[in-house]
Amino acid sequence: MNLGGFAGYILHINLTDKTVERTPLDLGLAENYIGGLGITLKLAYDTIQPGVDALGPDNTIVLGAGPLVGTDLPATSRVFAVTKLPSSGTIGWCGAGGFNFGCELKNAGYDHIIISGKAQNPVYLKIIDDDVQICDAHNLWGMGVAETCEAFWKDYERPLGVLSIGRAGENKVAFSMAFIDRISTLGRGGFGAVMGAKNLKAIMVKGKRGIDVADRKRYRALRKPFLENIRQYPYLKEWQSLGMLKSFPIVPVETYERIKKRRLACVSCPVGCKDIIEIPDGPFNGMVVHTSSALNLLTGLTYGFQDYRESIKLIATLDEYGMDMFEFFGLMGFAKTLHEQGIIQSDDIETEIRMDSLASMETWAGKIVAREGLGNVLANGFKGMLETFGEDSKKYAPSLVKGIHPYTGPGSALPWDLFGTMELGQVLDPRGPHVGSGGSPTYFAKRPLEVFPRHFKRMGIPASATERIITSSDDSDGEQTLNIGILLKYSHSWFSLLGSMGICARGQINRFYNAELCAQLYEAVTGIKTDLDELRLRVDRIWTLYRMANLREGFRRDIHEVLPEQWFGDNGFKEYVSGKPLQIDQAQKMIEDYYEEWGWDRKTGTPTGKILEKLGLSYS
Amino acid sequence: MGKYYITTVIENCSGCLRCQLGCSEANTRKFKPIAAHIHVEMNDGDCAISFTDDCIAYGICADNCFYGALTKTVKEKSS
Repeated sequence: MNLGGFAGYILHINLTDKTVERTPLDLGLAENYIGGLGITLKLAYDTIQPGVDALGPDNTIVLGAGPLVGTDLPATSRVFAVTKLPSSGTIGWCGAGGFNFGCELKNAGYDHIIISGKAQNPVYLKIIDDDVQICDAHNLWGMGVAETCEAFWKDYERPLGVLSIGRAGENKVAFSMAFIDRISTLGRGGFGAVMGAKNLKAIMVKGKRGIDVADRKRYRALRKPFLENIRQYPYLKEWQSLGMLKSFPIVPVETYERIKKRRLACVSCPVGCKDIIEIPDGPFNGMVVHTSSALNLLTGLTYGFQDYRESIKLIATLDEYGMDMFEFFGLMGFAKTLHEQGIIQSDDIETEIRMDSLASMETWAGKIVAREGLGNVLANGFKGMLETFGEDSKKYAPSLVKGIHPYTGPGSALPWDLFGTMELGQVLDPRGPHVGSGGSPTYFAKRPLEVFPRHFKRMGIPASATERIITSSDDSDGEQTLNIGILLKYSHSWFSLLGSMGICARGQINRFYNAELCAQLYEAVTGIKTDLDELRLRVDRIWTLYRMANLREGFRRDIHEVLPEQWFGDNGFKEYVSGKPLQIDQAQKMIEDYYEEWGWDRKTGTPTGKILEKLGLSYS
Repeated sequence: MGKYYITTVIENCSGCLRCQLGCSEANTRKFKPIAAHIHVEMNDGDCAISFTDDCIAYGICADNCFYGALTKTVKEKSS
């Protein structure tokens, strides 16, 4: 295939047979699934056998980077991994940016990697252009995420992309993550454990082929005003200076300025949300931490930590293990409650569980990662805890969606209580609750409805749908209402489009993109004739195939898309516009509206024959 | 000799490599970071920016920088 943007090849690795094969990327895949996330999902659908054990040798990992990755279009760094995830038991995507990995993967000549089988002993993949080797990782096994990354950076000249797991992934902790270039997470759901179960410690990649664009003149003509638009954005400097803390000022700006060592950005990003932090005083004086965001390092404060320096120390430890902090805190709170209720016996609690104590939390993180004592049960996540402690324990569990603790909502880490697309999306993305695919103007601060249509147009939402998303209420004085279910359909569409092209979905950057521009950029970069309607069709095909991959696994609304009861009541979520307590029947209707907008059965969420025909999809 | 002076302020660099991407494309018609005439190295927060002997101070690295790490000024013509 001779297209711009695409590197042109898929790399097939079988860890059992120790074989490596390169096949050309099929043009039809690009024409039907855009690239990046879309093609990764399609390859996963074709290669993951239904019913496979997530941690068994037959599970497949598919990685991919979209056609814009490796160009200098803003924030085009995204790498996706799709596999069957152990926490949710669903086929799910994980996505990350990073300094080098996506760009170097493309420069080495590959858009995707398909990894199957299981190595007999720990290995890593070494990819330097055509030189692809499955190498002994004996010396790396046991290392932390950053330690592994540094080991490669010491031995090879940068730029060099590194995808690695820590001890949590090695020991198949159900909520382990992988990291890209030590700074971006392939998180939530247990992707790290899938790698660990394959004895795959890391993937390193570098290349020198270069990425072409098909129509250089048009590319430049589109890029110039686009970059200028970003440059003129009045809050750009503030974003660059504060990162995620601008949205969520968990500590005063003065505190952040004291600990900020350097702000970092993924490759090609003009905004930057990554941080290097240095603790300026106290017992950890001088400790330097690289993080996906200072906000993450400070999350311990929302769970009761009083000293931000202790929070930084703990989250840095979890990151080095490659462990999801939201799930860790949720599980520890659950275990503490079970102990207080006498369901976990005191003999099992060798160290008191104190949610506000660094010593306690670090000890328990260590027990989990080493699978020691009760840590061995905790390492299996909520599913393992509920199986071990039985029916009596269920009523004390926090809200769970597909066996994973939501990151936002009553009792969760992030405190906002309005029920927008991100909140509903925690139930309706087959992957489970995560920060990522459900973005819309409802994210973070409450905004007036009159600004929404501008964003809807930018997200490529057809005008006919906008009329159904913002409507006048029947039972009031014409007060407007917002249909979160229909809007979420288009949030997922927008995310699919961005991810398939390779663009970061963070609000700070995707606000500069619009769907029409995406169509033009895609055409200029790849040379594939594209307009907005065609992109919409491809996006519908991608997300519907994602649904089908999970229905094929036995995914059902009444099992996998159950609304947690903790979300409703006086302390539950609030309806986005009115601020009144959200009722469960309102949320159920949102789910049905969401299904219907995709062209799926309103009650079951199964794609109808009509939509499958329109999209050219069928089950295999 | 190039048309511009390129000034670096390494404290501002975020390591985004937009400079290397832009430079390599201008020189080779491909986005290929290792072929750039500018190189950014970030080690534990310490940043180093260097230019190869081939650099002609074309200025695209500064055009592509959003962080104020690279700026360009026009060289005055000698009389």
